[in-house]
Amino acid sequence: MPNEYVLTIISNIGMISLIALSAYLLLVTGQISFGQQAFFGISAYAGAIATTLWGWPFWLALIFGSGLAALIAGLIGVLTLRISGMYFSIATLAFAEMIRLLLFKLTYQVEIDGELVGPNGAEGFGEIRWIFDHNISVLEYTLMIYAVLLLVLFGMVLLERSRLGMIFRMLGGDVLLTRTQGLNPVRYKIAAAIIAGFIAGLGGTFYAHSFTYIEPQIFNVMLGVHSLAYGLIGGLGTVLGPLIGVAIDIGFLESIRILQGYRMIVFGGLVAVMLIFMPRGILDEARVYWIKSVIRRWFNA
Amino acid sequence: MTDFVQNCIDGLMFGSGYALLALGFTLVFGVMKRLNLSFGPSIMLGAYAGTWVYLNISDNAWLVALATVIATIAVGIYVERLCFRAIRHDATIASMVSSFAIWMQLEEVAMHLLPERTYPFPAFFTTTTIEFGPFYARSEHITMLLLTLLLLVLLHVFLFRTRPGLALRSVSDNPLASAYMGINNSNILFLAFALVSVLGGLAGFLILSADTQVTPYFGLWATFKGLIAMMLGGMGSLPGAILGGLLLGIVEANAFWYGGPVIRDLSAYLLLFVMLIVRPGGLIGQKIVAEQRAADERV
Repeated sequence: MPNEYVLTIISNIGMISLIALSAYLLLVTGQISFGQQAFFGISAYAGAIATTLWGWPFWLALIFGSGLAALIAGLIGVLTLRISGMYFSIATLAFAEMIRLLLFKLTYQVEIDGELVGPNGAEGFGEIRWIFDHNISVLEYTLMIYAVLLLVLFGMVLLERSRLGMIFRMLGGDVLLTRTQGLNPVRYKIAAAIIAGFIAGLGGTFYAHSFTYIEPQIFNVMLGVHSLAYGLIGGLGTVLGPLIGVAIDIGFLESIRILQGYRMIVFGGLVAVMLIFMPRGILDEARVYWIKSVIRRWFNA
Repeated sequence: MTDFVQNCIDGLMFGSGYALLALGFTLVFGVMKRLNLSFGPSIMLGAYAGTWVYLNISDNAWLVALATVIATIAVGIYVERLCFRAIRHDATIASMVSSFAIWMQLEEVAMHLLPERTYPFPAFFTTTTIEFGPFYARSEHITMLLLTLLLLVLLHVFLFRTRPGLALRSVSDNPLASAYMGINNSNILFLAFALVSVLGGLAGFLILSADTQVTPYFGLWATFKGLIAMMLGGMGSLPGAILGGLLLGIVEANAFWYGGPVIRDLSAYLLLFVMLIVRPGGLIGQKIVAEQRAADERV
């Protein structure tokens, strides 16, 4: 039976992996978003409101929060269609900061058992007690997170093998080439935005219920840049890439005592150096191809 | 109505600080077509050096300003080597992400250097309130506005009347052609970065001595305000930076008056978001966007 500290780290890795996968999906389509933390935050608030204030079951709240995040992601996708590159990045950054500031203004409290609960602006949103009310242990909750994470990973592996996944990669490689194939980049960009918003949303609802307290400041731009950096470190060639990035940051840098207070210095430097020497991460497309061919040879021999 | 006019005057005054920051962004963008997101933290570290000199050595204004500028240049060189020179010239987005990563790094360095969070920054301007009719303005802000305009003129003279300025513009226009003309592009880009750091150091010194304190949040603040001001006014345009800075100042001052600090920040981001969607090049920077788009489309 692993102790709670280790379990907390493991469940953190699972939740942050979801937002990292969301940023990764957009990276694959060639869009750098500094704003995935907004969808994480929207879903964290929406999911927690659904269980705590409305008494919904958790799984329904999870779908509700993520669905709302996906919907808003789709709308933002439509709005930002005409811009790309750094303009897209800064627009998503501006949007995410707007959401964070709006959460400061969000007050929606209901009296439950003689106590006011619900989001209260800058005070945050505490008493998200679903885990305690249903006697769910840290281990069980971690398993729930990983069940969903595995489903998402499975879905993304299937996606990468599908025609849609191929189009996403082509879009990331060359928009003009995509258009000459008779494909409309617009539709695929919106599709990618919606899927990415949904995946980030899954992480958000889990996050709110795991920590039982959320405040707008959590969903600041640092969270977004980290989730982006995970894919860039781990690699853009496979869905395992972002997970490697998360494991390096949370599993290694954040958990080692000596590095306390120096994590950003090491991590920021690591990202900068990686961008110079391996611009598409450790497991980039070429290396993934090489590993696959080695495995294939090994099985054939 | 009086309130509104007074807000606009306040906005112009704050906006001159934003404009100063935007000048640095617009110069990097104009020459390199890249965004340097760690501009703010570099200025902040420079300001820490200035504060250190003030607390430990001397309260001479010129010395503090010099320390601020020199330290900003030092950090600026670090950023240029790591995020700009080392990365391929066509990978503009990689530079942006890399400078964001270095931003995180510099923020944490600042946290270690300044464990007490808030440090005094010397106030060098004589602060008096100037009244005219029902309105008033603070003298240090007027000084800042005038200095901003002076810097704009100096920068314009440098870019359009001197040989290094000509070289800078030719690298910006067409790096290959300027290389054929015997211009060392790397050196020119380095010069541009050093120039931007000097501008940033001066901006930081002026803004902080009007505020009389420096906190670890200054880096984030400076990057965002400078970036928003530049993108509103026009990407890569010097008058655009001034225009965007003043516009941002006026909008923020009014939003603050009518809605408080959260609404002030919200209005700035909303303005940026809408501007990016409607006119990605800002008010007067459409040309540079059109050129980039044409390059993307290869037509």
